[in-house]
Amino acid sequence: MGAYLEQSLGLQNSLVFILSAVVLLAIVLGFVTYSIYFQRKVLGWMQLRIGPNRVGPFGLLQTVADVLKLLLKEDIIPKAADKPLFIIAPVIAFVPAFGVLAVMPFTDKLHFADVGVGLLYYIALSGITVLGVITGGWASNNKWALIGAMRSAAQMISYEIPLVMSVVGVILMTGSLNLIDIVEKQKEMGMWFFIPQFLGFIIFIIAQLAELSRTPFDLTEAESELISGYHVEYSGFRWAFFMLTEYVYIFAMASLTTVLFLGGWLPPFEFLSFIPGIIWFALKFVAIVFFIFWLQATFPRMRVDQLMQMGWKVLLPLSLVNILVTAVLKTVL
Amino acid sequence: MTGEFIAFFILALLTIGGAVFMISFTRVVHMVVALAFTFLSIAGMYILLEAEFVGMVQILVYSGAISILMLFGIMLTRHDASEVEERRNPVKWLIRAAIAVFFIIVFFGIQSVQWSDKPADFTQKDNVKEIGVQMFTNYVIPFEMVSVLLLVALVGAIILAKKEAEGE
Repeated sequence: MGAYLEQSLGLQNSLVFILSAVVLLAIVLGFVTYSIYFQRKVLGWMQLRIGPNRVGPFGLLQTVADVLKLLLKEDIIPKAADKPLFIIAPVIAFVPAFGVLAVMPFTDKLHFADVGVGLLYYIALSGITVLGVITGGWASNNKWALIGAMRSAAQMISYEIPLVMSVVGVILMTGSLNLIDIVEKQKEMGMWFFIPQFLGFIIFIIAQLAELSRTPFDLTEAESELISGYHVEYSGFRWAFFMLTEYVYIFAMASLTTVLFLGGWLPPFEFLSFIPGIIWFALKFVAIVFFIFWLQATFPRMRVDQLMQMGWKVLLPLSLVNILVTAVLKTVL
Repeated sequence: MTGEFIAFFILALLTIGGAVFMISFTRVVHMVVALAFTFLSIAGMYILLEAEFVGMVQILVYSGAISILMLFGIMLTRHDASEVEERRNPVKWLIRAAIAVFFIIVFFGIQSVQWSDKPADFTQKDNVKEIGVQMFTNYVIPFEMVSVLLLVALVGAIILAKKEAEGE
């Protein structure tokens, strides 16, 4: 991919770019489909239930059937809703979710863009989803949707700060915002960043769960208690778009964690380096996705006031301490 | 017709279109969404000019600011509020004329500037690193001044908010 990026943009390599983006989209959609299946199976297994097992062998086609059902559902737009914004909101929410994947280096060869500010790009672009959420909540013209959007926006904005602060340690140690450089640095140091940046890693994992609005921070879609937040008026494929956004963010966040803290495509030991990097990447990636579902199966949901207190009074000071300690150690050592 | 030209054209269209829609919409939330498009396309312009860092900071700062602005817009206005059509005003023509004159001056001003023919080439430099180096060597005092200014603003805001809470 890197060789194509060096060339000037012609008809042929723009075709290559478009095709590779389509392939990535297909892979992501495949991931979303089977991560939902996997999630339900894992939840079932941990909570001593069965999980989907009717559609297709082992229920493998369950999600496909669900998606088909969503696409065939009637597309309802409330009469008093703000129609253009109601339609555009899922798009505003989804586009950044897919856009952030552009800078993700899956291996040293396989990446879409080699941007000097890769990490900043990810953080900046993922913030736009909040705009889609608020727009959706407001355009529904429903008090509960609006309150849900406010709740969701408050959560996302609050947790974005510790999320960004916690990776500053990694940036300080690498001296670069480029995601490929960050992995190369871990290779050079001989250990992955979750060891020297352990505090940052913990903060990152917690803040990341909140950003993804997964359990224990899934207040945005608490169906039974909080009537599912900002997308309460959405149905059919527009609702599916919001859900797709969430799962694509799981893909992106798991990739980002792998790259930042778990050494990306690097093998854990030198003698294992005959196995290609993409396999190591996939293994770490799957482990993180499993971890997210594991928490979902075992953790209770947090209350909104606890959530805010946790973000501002615990994670933020801790991440500041992490930055301070990292900076001091970097100058002393 | 290079790719860069097409990208510039689309981004310019989005920037100006967003700004025009921002002015002509009547609902606050619509305005904010139009504004968001403008800001994002300006960020795209920066990236086109190979100032990725500035572009990313533009998105980071303004997308956050837009969300907050939107929340305020929602909380401080009525949902169905739309402005009443204003009466025709003779002053309006004066303002329009002033805008036209301003446009003409700026247009000829830009036309008469002597740009150098060679485009600046930044492709070899890591501009994040350059910004960092500049900021902590040549411009460290202004940088510190800005941080003090922001700190003062923060403390001031807290004090103001605190007093209000006691008054209740």
